[in-house]
Amino acid sequence: MGKQETEMLKGILEGVVLGVLSTRAAYGYEITAWLRDQGFSDIAEGTVYALLVRVEQRGLVDVEKVPSEKGPPRKVYTLNAQGHEYLTEFWRTWSFLTDRLEKLRTAQTDAAEDGVEEGEK
Amino acid sequence: MAAKWIEALTGSLEQKKQYKGFRARLDALPEPYREVANAMHRYFMYYGGVTDGDTLVTMMGDLVELWERAAADGTPVRDIVGSDPVDFAETFALAYGGTQWIDKERSRLTKAVDDAERSQGS
Repeated sequence: MGKQETEMLKGILEGVVLGVLSTRAAYGYEITAWLRDQGFSDIAEGTVYALLVRVEQRGLVDVEKVPSEKGPPRKVYTLNAQGHEYLTEFWRTWSFLTDRLEKLRTAQTDAAEDGVEEGEK
Repeated sequence: MAAKWIEALTGSLEQKKQYKGFRARLDALPEPYREVANAMHRYFMYYGGVTDGDTLVTMMGDLVELWERAAADGTPVRDIVGSDPVDFAETFALAYGGTQWIDKERSRLTKAVDDAERSQGS
C-alpha cells in the first residue's frame, strides 16, 4: 500500500470498520481478514485492534467476551444505537466529500481539455 | 479508613495490583511477543503521558490481550504492528482519552486564541 493510500485510509478506516459491524457482529481478526479480501492487503491486524479499542472507548460498539479454544477470550463487537448514528453521519460526510472531489476532478479535466484545444489553435 | 487515607497518597492500591498483574502477564508471553509487547509498553511510558490510573490500567489490559491473542494464534509480530511500529503505538495510545499532561497546555492554547478573538471584537 502506498504512502498516500495509507494516509487517506487513516481518516476513513473507522467508518469502514463500523460499516462492517453494521452488517454483522465480528471480532478483530475477522474484520482484518475481510478487509484484506477486499484488497486492503497491507492492513495490520493491530491497526484494526487499536481502532476497535477506540470505538469501544467512545461507546459506539457493544463488546461481548467469547471464550476461545486457546488464548484469552475473543472480544466480539456489535454496533450499538450510538454507533449507527455515527455511521449515518459518516456516510453523509463521505457523500459530501466524494461529490465535491468529483466536481473538482471534472472541472480540472475540463480545464485541461480546454488548454489542449487552445494549444491546437 | 486507613486504607482510604493511604490511597489518597499513593493512588488506588487495587489499580496497582491490577497493573502489576498485567505486567506479569506481559513478562509471561513467549518470545518474540514478549520483547515487542515490552517495547511497546516502554514506548507508552515516554509517549503516552497518561496520568490517571483508570486509563492506564485499561490501556495496559488491552495491550496484554492484544499480545496474548497474537501469541495464541501465532500471528507474526509484523502482521500486528504493520510497517510503522511507532505510528501503530501512537495510534493505539491515542485511543485512550484519559487525562494527559498535555491537556493543560491544550486548553491554555485554546484559551489564548479565544481571548485574542475577543480582543479583536468579533
